[in-house]
Amino acid sequence: MKFYYIVFSVLLSGSVFSAETSISVVSNNNEAISNVVVTLTSKEIKTYEAPKVLAVMDQVDTQFLPHVLIVQQDSKVIFPNSDSIKHHVYSFSSAKTFELQLYKDLEAEPLLFSNPGIVELGCNIHDWMLGYIFVADTPYFAKTGIQGKVNLDVPEGDYLVRVWNPRFQEEEDVLSFQLSIPSQNSLTVKLVNSLLPDLSDYEEGNDEFSEYE
Amino acid sequence: MKKVTTNFLNMNRSRLKQIQVLILVKSLFYSCKGLCLLMLLVCSSKALALEVKGVIQANFVVADGHASWFEHGTGILAYSENGFNIQQALVKVSDSYSNGFGFDLVANYYQLGSQNLGISQAQLAYKPLSNSKLRWRARAGFFYPKMSLENVDTGWLSPFTYTQSAINSWIGEELRVAGAEFTLFSPGRSRKSPLSWELHGAVFKGNDPLGTAISWRGFTLHDRQSLNNDKVPFAAYPSVVQEDRIFHPNYVEPYHELDGRLGFYLGAHLDYFKQSSLRYYFYDNQADPLVVNSQRLYAWRTKFHSLSIQHKFTSNTRVIAQWMSGSSNMGQRFVYINFDAWYIMFSHKLKKHRFTARLDDFQVREDDIFLWDPNNSDGKAITLAWRYDLNKHWQVGIEQHFNENSSDIRATVGQDVSIDQQQSLAVIQYRW
Repeated sequence: MKFYYIVFSVLLSGSVFSAETSISVVSNNNEAISNVVVTLTSKEIKTYEAPKVLAVMDQVDTQFLPHVLIVQQDSKVIFPNSDSIKHHVYSFSSAKTFELQLYKDLEAEPLLFSNPGIVELGCNIHDWMLGYIFVADTPYFAKTGIQGKVNLDVPEGDYLVRVWNPRFQEEEDVLSFQLSIPSQNSLTVKLVNSLLPDLSDYEEGNDEFSEYE
Repeated sequence: MKKVTTNFLNMNRSRLKQIQVLILVKSLFYSCKGLCLLMLLVCSSKALALEVKGVIQANFVVADGHASWFEHGTGILAYSENGFNIQQALVKVSDSYSNGFGFDLVANYYQLGSQNLGISQAQLAYKPLSNSKLRWRARAGFFYPKMSLENVDTGWLSPFTYTQSAINSWIGEELRVAGAEFTLFSPGRSRKSPLSWELHGAVFKGNDPLGTAISWRGFTLHDRQSLNNDKVPFAAYPSVVQEDRIFHPNYVEPYHELDGRLGFYLGAHLDYFKQSSLRYYFYDNQADPLVVNSQRLYAWRTKFHSLSIQHKFTSNTRVIAQWMSGSSNMGQRFVYINFDAWYIMFSHKLKKHRFTARLDDFQVREDDIFLWDPNNSDGKAITLAWRYDLNKHWQVGIEQHFNENSSDIRATVGQDVSIDQQQSLAVIQYRW
């Protein structure tokens, strides 16, 4: 925790029951980082109703879409295949180990993600495909936008903030901070180490001809 | 009584119809068992969750009148006459399983050539599920080494032009291995690197007569892939076919195993993201050039290097090039050739239009003992193609091809050594 430069600011909240909380993530060069997972886990409330809506991890142009999907614990995720070719999705992650054949015209059954953690996805047919499902133990989560910032409206109380992106090279895989809302409703996380290379070019220039890769 | 007779007649008619249908089905089945099998596979694909793809191309060709090798002529383009043709008709059936095994089978129909229906590729593959940085996979069967960056469409077709480069026209008609390939590879993304690499090594039987066609006939430009028991014909050159000369038939069956030796190839791929690709292969069939079979087909010791590159300037614009250099030897240096060929191709996709231009250069030079069997040949070619996707199933296209080529052996059949050729194609394609 001491390695991170954390700014807390106190603002008066307009509501007794909930407050908008703003969390920003910047690199060691003070550049905003997008697509960072931010979750807020309440220290008081331990159980939540399982989400009824299916989350979607699609296969589009031989890529996982979205690259990073956040779901609440006990969510069901459906893996449609929007490509005209077959995929064979797998995960070796301890949070969810599975393999799934995704034929172009057949819909696979949704999978239940009941353990919190990070699930890394690959495709055994298209080796460049890489995606993540972040299973959160809370309904309060979001990904940072281009400004490197999320705004979450959460009930007042004490929270554990988790911050994660696959490009982080920090001491811990998932960074965590304490936050008491509404007295502390703004947090800026500055990384100590540089980010891993941006390999989003793997998402670019996808070839329509994949017979022969 | 009348009613009974009518019923009897009706029954007989109905039985006759059944018999006729049975005969028709039987005759169809026996005349094209392969096609029936394919249809069954297509019909049952949904239930079995197989992946079934197909491509059919019909063309109208304006040819230049030089008879092609299919007609035992000396022209280097596939069509000898103007007219409508089925250019390609193929079905690819494939699947892969949770245990890492998978298979691919490509069956083709060709209007041109002596074998009209057959298999062009059939392989079993094993690729264990792995998330490690260093992975492996293997395949066995009847397949192409993955040296071409041009033949990336279903069934080893080119999505860029209809008439393929001289290099890959030759690979399609004479090169296929019946063997096993082992691949060690490292996907860049697993190492958080933009570079991915693959190393391939294979051993195989068969493919001993490889080199026959380009030695005598020279390079050609077309898109016909030889099928499993196929025959590549060429003109009856006196120095080849006469009993007092080399005494070889005026065809080659390229996939024979003649000497019992194993051939091999080695390959390396390097990719930068999915933007740039480099593929190097060394192929050697290790054939014993002194071995000849009862058809008087020889084993030709053929080896070559192949280097292919692709760079995508944008997702819509790319350049592809390939260079090949090698040699082939038959008998006690009865025929010995060195061959070199290259092409460079630019392709740009503008919405549903794809425009492609390719330049080919090819050369065969002999260094053997029979002066009366001249094997020098060479040529240059330009191929321009436009292909337009009407929807995800239908595509239309036009191609114009020009070449100037020379082949010394034409003099032995009283023809001009050097000729210029051109060919225009209008093609409609359906895929599923």
